[in-house]
Amino acid sequence: MRELRSEEPLQRPRTAYLLLLPFFVFFVVFWLVPLLGGLRMSFYSNELYGTSRFVGGDHYRALLADPRYFKALRNTALYAAYSIGCILPLAVLLAHLLQSAWRSIRPFLTFLLLLPALTPPAVLALLFLLVFHGREGLLNQLIVLPLGFKAVNWLKDPSFILPALVLQTVWRWTGFITLFVLAGMDGIPRVLYDAARMSTESRWHLFRTVTYPFLKPVLVFSAVYLMVDAFSLFSGAYVLLGGSGGTADAGLVLVSYIYQQAFTFGKFGTASAISLSVAPFLLLALALCFLRVRRS
Amino acid sequence: MKETPSSTGHAEGTGRPFRAGPLLALMGLTLVSLVFVYPFAWMFFASFKENRQIFSPLKLWPGHFGGQYYGQLFSGEWIPFVRVFGNSLLIASAQAVGAVAVTSLAGYAFAKHRFPMRRMLFVVSLVVIVLPQQALAISLFTWLDALHLSNRLAGVILPGVASGLGILYFTQVFRQVPDDYVHLARMAGASEFRVYTTLLPMLASPLLSFGLVQFILAWHEHLIPMLVLSAADQQTLPLALASLYGSSLRFPFAVLMAGSTLTLIPTVLLFALLHRRFKSSLSELLVH
Repeated sequence: MRELRSEEPLQRPRTAYLLLLPFFVFFVVFWLVPLLGGLRMSFYSNELYGTSRFVGGDHYRALLADPRYFKALRNTALYAAYSIGCILPLAVLLAHLLQSAWRSIRPFLTFLLLLPALTPPAVLALLFLLVFHGREGLLNQLIVLPLGFKAVNWLKDPSFILPALVLQTVWRWTGFITLFVLAGMDGIPRVLYDAARMSTESRWHLFRTVTYPFLKPVLVFSAVYLMVDAFSLFSGAYVLLGGSGGTADAGLVLVSYIYQQAFTFGKFGTASAISLSVAPFLLLALALCFLRVRRS
Repeated sequence: MKETPSSTGHAEGTGRPFRAGPLLALMGLTLVSLVFVYPFAWMFFASFKENRQIFSPLKLWPGHFGGQYYGQLFSGEWIPFVRVFGNSLLIASAQAVGAVAVTSLAGYAFAKHRFPMRRMLFVVSLVVIVLPQQALAISLFTWLDALHLSNRLAGVILPGVASGLGILYFTQVFRQVPDDYVHLARMAGASEFRVYTTLLPMLASPLLSFGLVQFILAWHEHLIPMLVLSAADQQTLPLALASLYGSSLRFPFAVLMAGSTLTLIPTVLLFALLHRRFKSSLSELLVH
């Protein structure tokens, strides 16, 4: 074995490029070309076929003066932040509970927790139409009214639309992220806990000194995943709010705004400018996340 | 966590980190699972109810179980259910197989070869993760139209094949394969493609796990099929169900709930079958 290893690594670039070829064909045709096409579209006027002309940065400048764009941006960012802020702590807590409970029931419980993630978001949104439905909805009947509050009109009241979207997302992803965190926690060597327990029995201290540093990469990955998912939120908002932004645009998110601009108003240039305007922020966020993991 | 004989001998409360007492944990978990499961139970039972009963969600149990709404679903009275179910199944399977094949091949190259611009190409292919198809939907839509792929299932299948997540995952997976295996196969005179295929059987779990994830993602996709497939009999299952809602106030909601219930079957079935493999490849990935 030793002798074999010494003569490598393999230096045959041509073979390697050949192996990469299929991926990059798909990459170029279905990702790079649409990206460049979108970029071009965002610099041309809004007529779709033939007659459009070069307008430079006009669409981007118009966005800067468009309150609805900022509303959508703000809603999406808030939605992402709230969802991640709810899901990660909940998932860590649930993973702890799963680790403490008897091992034999784990598969069954994880399956139940995963059920929402296995459901298509469009179907989930249909289900949540009934959960959030006016007075008769599940949430009102089961929780809001029994607790003595007035029934909330989840999908019409502007102050509850975004929380409703967040609630749906938390419900959808918490189980899946829990599974992830649990797998990460199972990989932490027990000795570390034994060592840390020499100095303290405080659970919070054990969590901070042992569990958290080990889980950090998993949590960062989960946060990135959830953030990308949040920025491509479409199905939930589209089905729940019927393609509009909801009352007073309280539920207007980026993808539905893009969709609206393109297919309701036919402004393909504006729509492309919106999609591309977010890309640098997402890239930056991703780069920051990876850098932090790399450092620790 | 590995359960060693000595650790089970420990007194409760010190055997494991954060032992809240299994019973307490179980109670908490039962409560949480109820929250997760109740809407599904409701969906299932609603597929037997009349509209009037559906909107009193506290009465879970339907008066009687009759299959008439499932019958209406299959007869195609409201949507071409069998057809769209088949479409979705075809799209999700084809995309899963395609993505696994293409990204595992690339992952092998990234992990086991040294070549100029390796890092650059790797990073470039990861950018796909941050800028998903949905963000490029508008221009993707016009481009697919130019390629004569609109209103074809291929127009939905192909764009999902170039998965950045797949590149990240399979590069990691192939990195964990000992170099010796690769060298042995190369010494035996195998071509690089042959080396790759001989490694596949030992990677069955990660391959199937990623296939499962890709299947689920494709099964769930809403925006791209909605833009690309406009003909009624070319739609996918989530699309058809979403369009059913709001089509008319008179139609029986139970049909929608029946369709939604059946939507769950493929993903749940696949997950149940591959559960063990999925868990092992997940911890494999996180531990190393």
